[in-house]
Amino acid sequence: MTWAVAVLTLVKVIIIIAFLLTMAAVSVWADRRQSAMVQDRVGPCRAVVYVPSMLLRGALALPAIIIAGLIAIPFWHSAPGLELARMTTGFEVAILVGWFSLLLLSAHVRRTEPENGFDELVARVEPRNYFYAGLVLHLLALPLVRLIPRSFWQVRVELLGDPLILQLGAGLAGTVAAIVIMSSGFYGAAKLPDGKIGIRLAGLLHAVADAIKLVWKEDFRPKRADKLLFTLAPMLAMFPALVTFAVIPFGSTLCFNDLNQDGVLNFGDLAGLANTVDHSGVWAASQLPGSLAISDMNVGLLYIFAIAGTGVVGAAIAGWASDNKFALLGGLRATAQMVSYEVAMGLSIVGMLMITSTVKMGSLIDWQGANAWGIFVQPFAFILFFVALVAETKRVPFDQPEGESEIVAGYLLEYSGMKFGLFFLGEYAEFAFSSALLVALFFGGCHLPFLYADGIHIAFGGTLLYSLKMSHLAVTVIHVIAFFGKTLLLTWLQVFIRWTLPRFRYDQVMKLGWTKLLPLALANILLTGLVLLGIDSAGPAVQSALAFAADISQALVAVGALVAAVAFVTWLLEPTKFRRVVRSSAARYTAAKGGIKPTEMQA
Amino acid sequence: MGNKQDTMTSWTKPAVRGVEGAVIPRPERSAQVQIYLAEWIKGTGVTMRHFFGNVKERLLGQKRDPVLEDFDGGVTTIEYPEERRPYPTRFRGLHRLTVRQDGSPRCVACLCCSTACPAQCIHIEPAEYPEGDERHGYERYPAEFVIDELRCVFCGYCVEACPCDAIRMDSGHHASSYDSREQFIFDKETLIQLSGRDCSHETDNPRHEPGDPTYPGVTREHEH
Repeated sequence: MTWAVAVLTLVKVIIIIAFLLTMAAVSVWADRRQSAMVQDRVGPCRAVVYVPSMLLRGALALPAIIIAGLIAIPFWHSAPGLELARMTTGFEVAILVGWFSLLLLSAHVRRTEPENGFDELVARVEPRNYFYAGLVLHLLALPLVRLIPRSFWQVRVELLGDPLILQLGAGLAGTVAAIVIMSSGFYGAAKLPDGKIGIRLAGLLHAVADAIKLVWKEDFRPKRADKLLFTLAPMLAMFPALVTFAVIPFGSTLCFNDLNQDGVLNFGDLAGLANTVDHSGVWAASQLPGSLAISDMNVGLLYIFAIAGTGVVGAAIAGWASDNKFALLGGLRATAQMVSYEVAMGLSIVGMLMITSTVKMGSLIDWQGANAWGIFVQPFAFILFFVALVAETKRVPFDQPEGESEIVAGYLLEYSGMKFGLFFLGEYAEFAFSSALLVALFFGGCHLPFLYADGIHIAFGGTLLYSLKMSHLAVTVIHVIAFFGKTLLLTWLQVFIRWTLPRFRYDQVMKLGWTKLLPLALANILLTGLVLLGIDSAGPAVQSALAFAADISQALVAVGALVAAVAFVTWLLEPTKFRRVVRSSAARYTAAKGGIKPTEMQA
Repeated sequence: MGNKQDTMTSWTKPAVRGVEGAVIPRPERSAQVQIYLAEWIKGTGVTMRHFFGNVKERLLGQKRDPVLEDFDGGVTTIEYPEERRPYPTRFRGLHRLTVRQDGSPRCVACLCCSTACPAQCIHIEPAEYPEGDERHGYERYPAEFVIDELRCVFCGYCVEACPCDAIRMDSGHHASSYDSREQFIFDKETLIQLSGRDCSHETDNPRHEPGDPTYPGVTREHEH
């Protein structure tokens, strides 16, 4: 292992830990705030930081300048084969930022007063139309960019006698995007009111405030508790959640050119990030791979099960060391439950492993990218695995170990202050990890439909509908964003389970695990084996039909996501009208004062 | 016979007669319910409908006004320090002492309010105006005027009792939370400092001072 590899690993560790800590804060916030919103309450969102508006203006304008520079300047440089991708990117980014900024501005002006003619003009349009126009432009830009004549793509200019090839098409597209981004950023910054502005981040700061409170809270320990184990338990509970993430790749494998020809990755080779890679992501023998997992070991999935299995130790020790009968009961429940569901969880994934014939996480994810997502290949296993995973993370409806209506707070009962905070953090980190594991096993990991290592190729069977070659870096960035985005989405979906389902009875939990999930997982293995046997003995016609079905599944995901996004925004921007009903004398008085909405209301 | 009442023990037997009302049938445990998955998805749909509806309201600043607008569901919480529900005009809030034109309290320290107070939360120490003052010998002034707002029951008797319109409860403030009990004991300066809901410290009722043409003329110097 070279120093470069060590440093890269450290960077990856920092990224993962930062992600997990952020997810812990976001999950706490989502859990509390979201539940409140579900129950028609506001929930905890009062923590506020006051920031001078000049600082906020800088925070809006500076990133705009940086992003604009990052898009505009490199696009002028020559990049053979990527002109079309860069032109498309430039225009699409410009369209995206354009309609989104106009939408925000329109909403803002409609809420307040227009300051100039432009504001009035913007506010006159129904906000939804900005989105529709943007959508049409997004789709139209894809074929229209191709109509720009090839002679315009590259222009040879003589500058002081030196011949210089300018990427005119890409450069202009990037500049258009930069102008749109900068003008939106600056106009937004100018719209900020003077004075101090309270930042709440939709209540996200409340989770941070809670963490600060937990640090300063009294660290109480029962008199007869086991000193060492009582302190050790939160750390043991936290440990597996952090460590298991090591084998999950959060992006596709990076490909470096071996610049100094020594066969290992050195600091010098880091600059040699390949410009483009092959369609299937296979690199030349002379190139060096850089996995985006901390350690993409070949026993990846087994490692995850092994380490996750130790999570039970933290809960059991916490229950024992607390010197409290409720805590002990909670610890016992946690132990029994986690051991039971470990079996069903391990067996339910076997079908997937039989198909992909690997337990290496990177290979599992790449198989899904090349064929179809796991949820389409093994839908039944997904349900089993998902249920077992929820039970394994001790979340509702499987939270008997801390069921407050039965055993107060279970093994968490005697914990307070930051020790409790550590349990909490570990639980939410485990929660985030479980989402990441689901993404890696069943939702294609970092892969998006029709996005391959060398760009977008929309093809069904043999017919190619649309193709766009993209750079290795761009694809990697999209992959990383896709992985973390999918994880976030799945975490968010999982939070909803908590606010939907009531807790199971304890015997129901045990029955479900041993008499339902376990036989079903075994049946799934049998069924998968039979189907695999059938496919292997069938002819090439079946193989090609399967490949076509895989493409259809990709299209389903893409179209489904697009339709869901459009339906969501359409619904979100639907104009609303409320009926005014004045019911009491107080309401009449309030009506005369103009309602309670304005903030500068006399007390 | 097979009467159900007979089989009951004394523990389960109703005291007078059986529970009246329609029998609610047990929910049917169909296969769909037993499988649980479909029901879970249905339930999640309900949760999400509430969530997105409320998020939309708050995200787009469309939150209903819980006083003025029909609120069939949805978040109706008032976020207090920023949003305040105006109290009705006759709301009895914290006391205030009204002042004369010259800024001195209208109070003549007659002790009517502290006498009327059922909670005995008003303490007044009357004092005479100094010799030579126009009001000397005619009326007194409160050297101390202290109200313990924590003892106050906000009955408004003090306002009713006051012959001079000197004490009012129209400040519009409710008793906010402070750090200590001492902070709820309002002295004369604090009470004068509080304004009415129209932000004025005076009242519309004119007060006729000695020397005014409208002054009724009952003084010790001008005896009738």
